[in-house]
Amino acid sequence: MTYTSFLRSELLVLWRRKQDVVNAVLFFILVVALFPIGVNSSPEFLSPASGGIIWCAAVLAILMSIEGAFKDDYLDGSLEQLVVSGLSLPLLMLLKVVALWASVVIPLLLVMPLLSEMLSLPSAAFWVLIMTLLVGTPCLFFIGIIGSALTASLKQSAMLVMLLILPFYFPVIIFATSAVHAAQVGLPYSGLLAILLAMSLLSLVVSPFMTAIAIKASVN
Amino acid sequence: MRWVWFHKLGSPKYFYFWSKPLALPLFFLGCLCLVVGLVWGLAFAPADYQQGNSFRIIYIHVPVAMLAQSCYFALGVAGFVYLVWQMKIAPIFIKSMAPIGAVMALIALVSGAIWGKPTWGTWWIWDARLTSVLVLFLLYMGIIALQNALDDLVLANKATAVVSVVGLINLPIIKYSVVWWNTLHQGATFTLMEKPAMPAAMWIPLLICVVGLYCFVASLVLWRMQSEIMQREHRSSWVKQEVMYNNGF
Repeated sequence: MTYTSFLRSELLVLWRRKQDVVNAVLFFILVVALFPIGVNSSPEFLSPASGGIIWCAAVLAILMSIEGAFKDDYLDGSLEQLVVSGLSLPLLMLLKVVALWASVVIPLLLVMPLLSEMLSLPSAAFWVLIMTLLVGTPCLFFIGIIGSALTASLKQSAMLVMLLILPFYFPVIIFATSAVHAAQVGLPYSGLLAILLAMSLLSLVVSPFMTAIAIKASVN
Repeated sequence: MRWVWFHKLGSPKYFYFWSKPLALPLFFLGCLCLVVGLVWGLAFAPADYQQGNSFRIIYIHVPVAMLAQSCYFALGVAGFVYLVWQMKIAPIFIKSMAPIGAVMALIALVSGAIWGKPTWGTWWIWDARLTSVLVLFLLYMGIIALQNALDDLVLANKATAVVSVVGLINLPIIKYSVVWWNTLHQGATFTLMEKPAMPAAMWIPLLICVVGLYCFVASLVLWRMQSEIMQREHRSSWVKQEVMYNNGF
């Protein structure tokens, strides 16, 4: 096994399980739809709230799809193979996150024009929203994968991962929605995007090592 | 400087016998300070010129809020120590400390809400401090939930240590994100370098309360750690001897 073959196999597994990706996107759309139905469907409410609604739904969809990332690998023993493969486990975890990120975020971005119309997001803020998703979601994946690795050996862990990981997502949500909001009212937003990028980079440095520790403890 | 004493504390047996005579005096010292500080603060300290008597909840709120943060810092340090040096005592500390920290954060939230009603006119607002203490409480609860969910002891040790360390890195980020997001809460009451902005008759009892609560929590942690050590090492001969001795055999 090499790093490239690992990445290729990960992508292949994700590609063969297209239904999971479709489910994540449908879940995302459903959560977004809850807000106009449940709170208020007037554009006066939706337009300022749209950035926050999209981000909250995206956070939930990402957490749902990341929660079971190691379940099958743990059950069929391929996680142990990764540990004993002699390759650097943190690097493998990094590749895993890259594959997962591509498989979840790219479909989310593809449905984003549709949703921004549904939530009457001003077109000036649309590209800022896309930017925050591109820059901020890696942080969500890097933090979430730690929770997923810690609970890989548990049968029922969705609720536990949510409880464990969601508090760590607060800063990302705060800065991302602030950036969208700033763009809507015409304030500068590049600083907020820079902070999001900084958080993603920090988690990129810390997370693979923590995930590797958690994986090693899980397969023991 | 020799570090032998420090390494020795990493062994559960040594720690048990080292901490055993410490817990009770700390407990009494803490109780004494708390009683003195609270009675002084609640009954004898002068009333605030703006808030009247409602400010007196500061003698509970501030010490508890300080402890809630200190406990998390200690958790993070212990997690780091465990991940780097594999000291056996660190996960025992994390397991013993997390529920106490959670209770401290909860009391801070509740007492803050009670204080907020007469001064701000509301039980809860989405203010920076309030939100970050809420997050702190949720982090504690996450660690406790993880500890309870994992049956495998080694995995539970590692897992709680990892979450503690990640939380330690993330806590300042959470704190500053909510500070920039929304602020109403007043600034820190005590800072290391500056003299408090209130008269001595007000802050001395507060300081006594803070010191008392630190001692109180330290004694509780030591006791919880001792019983946790007993549980984890129940097969070793020194624990058997200790139990026999305590029961008068």
